[in-house]
Amino acid sequence: MNKMTFGALSAVAQVERPTQRALAKQRTREKILASARTLFTERGYDGATVRDIASAAGMSTGAVFASFTDKSDLFIEIVGDQHDALVRAMRAAAACKKPRAAVEAVLDAAVDAHMSDLPLFQATMSALWSKDMGPLVRSRLRRTPARDILAAVVKAAIACGDLASVSDPDLLAQMIWDGYISALRRAALEGLGTEAVRRLVRDQARVILAGATELT
Amino acid sequence: MRAARKEETRRRVLDAARELFEEIGYDAATIREIARRAGVSTGSVFTSFPSKAHVLTTVMQERLTDLYAELDRILPHLRGSCVDRCRSMFAVHYAFELRRARLFLAYISASFDWSAGPRAPVFGANTHLRGMIRDCLAHGVAQGEVRPDADLDMAVDLLLSAYIFNWRLVAIGVPDEAKLVALMDDQIGMIFAGLTS
Repeated sequence: MNKMTFGALSAVAQVERPTQRALAKQRTREKILASARTLFTERGYDGATVRDIASAAGMSTGAVFASFTDKSDLFIEIVGDQHDALVRAMRAAAACKKPRAAVEAVLDAAVDAHMSDLPLFQATMSALWSKDMGPLVRSRLRRTPARDILAAVVKAAIACGDLASVSDPDLLAQMIWDGYISALRRAALEGLGTEAVRRLVRDQARVILAGATELT
Repeated sequence: MRAARKEETRRRVLDAARELFEEIGYDAATIREIARRAGVSTGSVFTSFPSKAHVLTTVMQERLTDLYAELDRILPHLRGSCVDRCRSMFAVHYAFELRRARLFLAYISASFDWSAGPRAPVFGANTHLRGMIRDCLAHGVAQGEVRPDADLDMAVDLLLSAYIFNWRLVAIGVPDEAKLVALMDDQIGMIFAGLTS
C-alpha cells in the first residue's frame, strides 16, 4: 500500500517536472516574442537585431536561439499571429450577414484588425516585397489567404443576385484587396484614423463594384 | 556656393546609388557603401536624404525622366478611347520598369518603410503617372465617355493600386510583360465599367 502510494507520487512528480520545464520554456518564448514584436514594430525587420531582442527580453542571445531558429523564424511567428487574428476577424464578420453587406463587414473587420497594429503591418509588407524575406512571408500568409475570404463573399453576393454576374469575381476581389492595401499604406504614412480608413476602403469597394452593380 | 556643393553631393550620391543598386541590388547596397563610392561621408548622405528609401525613390523618379519626355510628346497625338489610352500608358510603364524588375520590387518594399516617417514622399511618389491618368480620365469626362459625377481621384488611386500590386506576379517569378499587361487591361476594363455605367 505504502509502496503503491509512493509509486503513484513519484509518477506524479515525474509528470510534473517536465510540465514545469515546459511552462518555463513557454514563458521564455512569450517574453522573447513580446520583445521581438516591439522591436520589429519600431525598427522593421532589418533594423531589429537578435541581440537587441534578447537584451530587451532580459536574456542572452543564446537563450533566444534555444527557442527560435533565427530572426526570420521569430518574425514569421509574429507575422503569422497577426495574420491569423485578421483571418478570424474577417471570417466572423462574413457569417450571418446578407451577402452584399458582408462585403463591407469583412472589409471593416480587416481594417479594425490591421489598424490595431499598423506598424507591424508596415514591417510585414516591407518584408513581403523584399528579396530575402519575401518568399518566407508569402508562404506563411498564403496558408489562409485573406483575399479568399473576400472573394467568397463577393461570389455569394453574385450568387444571390446582389451583384451582377461578372466574368472574373476573383479578379474583382483582388482589386478590392489591392485598394485596401493601398489605403492602409496611406493610413500608415499620412496618419489616417480607423474611421477614415473604413470610409475610404468602403468607398473604393463601391467604385470597383459599381460596374457589377445592376442599375435599378 | 554652399548650395552648389550640396547639389554636387546629392548628385554624386544618386549616381553612386543607381550604379550600386543595379550591380548588387537594393538590400546589399548599404548607405556606407553608397557613400564610399560617391566619395562622401556617410553623414552627408543623410543630410541629402532622410533614408535609403528616399534615395531609391529619387533614383526611380529620375530613371523615368526620359520616358516622360517621350510620353509627353506622344500623348497629345494619341487617338482612341479614354480606356484605350489609359491601357497604353500602363503598358508603357510595365515595359519600362520590367527592365529593372528587382529594383521595382525593392521600391514597393521601401514604400512601406516605417523609417520614412509621416508624409513621406515615398508614397505615391510617381506624381507624373498619377497626373497623366488623371488627365486621361478628365478628357474621358469631356468626351462623354466617363460619367461626370465619377470620383476621378479615387479611380486614379485604384488604377495605381492595381498597377503596383500586379507586381506580385513578378515577385513570385513571372516577369512576363504580356501577362502583366493583359491582367492590367482586364482591371482597367472593370474599373471603367463602373465609371461609365
